[in-house]
Amino acid sequence: MSTMGIIFANIYDSSLGELTNKRTMASLPYGGRYRQIDFSLSNMTNAGIRHIGVITKYNYQSLMNHIGSGQEWDLELEEGGLEFLTPYAADHNASYRGKLDALRSAMSFLTYSKEEYVVLVDSGVLCAIDFNELIEHHIASGADVTVCVKAGIANGVKQLDMAVRTDKKNAVTDVAVDYCADESYLASMGIFVMRRDRLIREVTEAVAHNRFRFERDFVMPGFTDGSLKLNAYKFQGVALFNESTAEFFHNNLALLDRNIREGLFRRPGRTIYTKVRNEIPSYYGDSSEIDDCMVADGCVLEGTAIHSILFRGVKLGKNAVVKDSIIMSDAVIGEGAELENVILDKDVVVGAGKKLCGTYEHPLILKRGEIV
Amino acid sequence: MNFLKKHCVAMLLAGGQGSRLLVLTENTAKPAVPFGGKYRIIDFPLSNCVNSGIDTVGILTQYQPLELNEYIGNGQPWRLNRSHGGVQVLPPYAKSKKSEWYKGTANAIYQNIPFIERYDPDYVLILSGDHIYKMDYAAMLRFAEQKNADCTIAVRTVPLAEASRFGIMNTNEDGSIYEFEEKPKHPKSTNASMGIYIFKWDILRQFLIADEEDPSSDNDFGKNVIPALLSSGHKLFAYKFEGYWKDVGTISSLWEANMELLGTDPAFNLDSEKGGRIYARNYAMPSSFIAKSSANSDSLIGEGSGIYGAVKHCVISTGCTVEEGAVVEDSVIMPNVVIESGAIIRHAIIGEDCHIRRGAVIGGSFAEGEEKKIAVVGKAKTIEANQTIAPGEVC
Repeated sequence: MSTMGIIFANIYDSSLGELTNKRTMASLPYGGRYRQIDFSLSNMTNAGIRHIGVITKYNYQSLMNHIGSGQEWDLELEEGGLEFLTPYAADHNASYRGKLDALRSAMSFLTYSKEEYVVLVDSGVLCAIDFNELIEHHIASGADVTVCVKAGIANGVKQLDMAVRTDKKNAVTDVAVDYCADESYLASMGIFVMRRDRLIREVTEAVAHNRFRFERDFVMPGFTDGSLKLNAYKFQGVALFNESTAEFFHNNLALLDRNIREGLFRRPGRTIYTKVRNEIPSYYGDSSEIDDCMVADGCVLEGTAIHSILFRGVKLGKNAVVKDSIIMSDAVIGEGAELENVILDKDVVVGAGKKLCGTYEHPLILKRGEIV
Repeated sequence: MNFLKKHCVAMLLAGGQGSRLLVLTENTAKPAVPFGGKYRIIDFPLSNCVNSGIDTVGILTQYQPLELNEYIGNGQPWRLNRSHGGVQVLPPYAKSKKSEWYKGTANAIYQNIPFIERYDPDYVLILSGDHIYKMDYAAMLRFAEQKNADCTIAVRTVPLAEASRFGIMNTNEDGSIYEFEEKPKHPKSTNASMGIYIFKWDILRQFLIADEEDPSSDNDFGKNVIPALLSSGHKLFAYKFEGYWKDVGTISSLWEANMELLGTDPAFNLDSEKGGRIYARNYAMPSSFIAKSSANSDSLIGEGSGIYGAVKHCVISTGCTVEEGAVVEDSVIMPNVVIESGAIIRHAIIGEDCHIRRGAVIGGSFAEGEEKKIAVVGKAKTIEANQTIAPGEVC
């Protein structure tokens, strides 16, 4: 049951505004020290899937820098390890019109691989999942494609890339795409399993017939006309959908809940790996007051932080107060500054005494390197 | 196999038992003892090497090397996984004629002459894995070359009152050493040897072989090789080192060195801006969770920890849990320790993987000026609920 992996690094960039202006969804910093792709990469290597293609179309400098040779995930192999699949300079299509189109560009990667199955993963949903269990479930089902789904996400308001309904026997009864599905639906986590040879065939056929989108132009019509047997794997663990700025904000702060933390990290055999930065341990000064925060290494804390996520190397000045905020790496918060419902991207400097305030649904975002 | 010539090869002596660290080195070589929240003692000389441009380091192990070997691995965290050179762990090995353990610091190097020869170096840097400091060895090497010294010994200035505890180098105006006194009752100067030497390789090689052939020798650098060089008219120079340096060979010095990392202007600043970055093997852990119920002051707290209790003037390593109602003060808590509610820990070193159950009381407080007796709990021990470990007690 040999399996390879494909990670789509940036399909939904436009929905996160400034945060994904100059970086892929996959390289979006999360949770104090991770980038979103760490979850898919780690889930794959934890399942022994080491032949992985990362498909990315633009803004991938920081992603490549982060992943490097793939060493932290044990992927630095001469052959059969990690490969970046960037748009070919020769291809007249510099921009992918959808995942099928992207896969078409990666065709030689697919055809020259030897694995039987492929796990395809988007970069917007964070979870710690056992891919071996998923693959076994897929094989046992006899289906052509298995989609990994999560209950409790569809709420009639959130637009889902794909949503399914299942019957009592867990058979898929309905597939909807780009739909604000109601609670009776299960949300696709953007994780699919299928046979590699079938994927190659489908991609070739689809693109030749002007069809580019994986869910809309392949899975849904296949299900509808019966040519595709679709199986749903109901994932029971913590799955965070970071597909909008508000979700990204809420899902970071959600880490302050023990259940979420424990659902994502430190699951036996499912460690989430990331690039190491060799910072010194964080220093908590005498005047610091840290209440219900996640704090990464390298911080120097003299002020107050409440219910916030502090990434690596953050400097929090005396009498500064940070509440319900996400402060990314190396940001500097001056003395007496006040921040609430704010996302500071990396290297932002907030001057002494400055006040910045967003709301829970509309956090104020300062882009990388901004000086206030 | 092809070996490239190296200008300078470092040999790091990491084989000693470090018996004065008692339970902390019961099953672990001293260089593998945790330090500073996320490091191990050996990270300091290793990082200094790579920061100084020395990419070939032999690490001589002997005592309880398992953890140390695993920790070093292929040297990748210190950027020492190279095709040419890099880090190489050197345990004693069986030979066809004579197999023996390392019987002294000089003998350990002697037995590894074949390793050094592969790189045909001009200089060999001898380091030990016991010290906490940041140093630019390249500057010391330039000094050695400039003086055309056969042997250069790094020295630091110690208070005259304490000089009798050290190996003291008496020097001329130009830094050349004319006399070496081990723990002199009446010290003539305050240049204490740091146990860091740079030798011209061909000279060192010659003296190592001669020393090995002397059955009355202790095969020790300080006791035998250095005096032999001195008395045979070779050129020895003292290189003055000004920065922070600590021999963490005793419980109290290990505790002090950890405490000296604390404060807004610490005696030893780990910051990479000040003297270079210290690399370590990092384990994948999420950021620490600092709860509302916690009260932290003047402390370093490593990643992957959950702090719910009160932490004051401490070094808390990675992966620790301090439950609500626990009080930890003036202490060094090594990685992956769990401290349950109601436990009170003061002036202590708690070894890796320990579990301190509720209400346990470890160590105590001391008045101003009183000698601090540091309680020690060895690796992977459990202290039962409400158990008391007295100040200075070791278990």
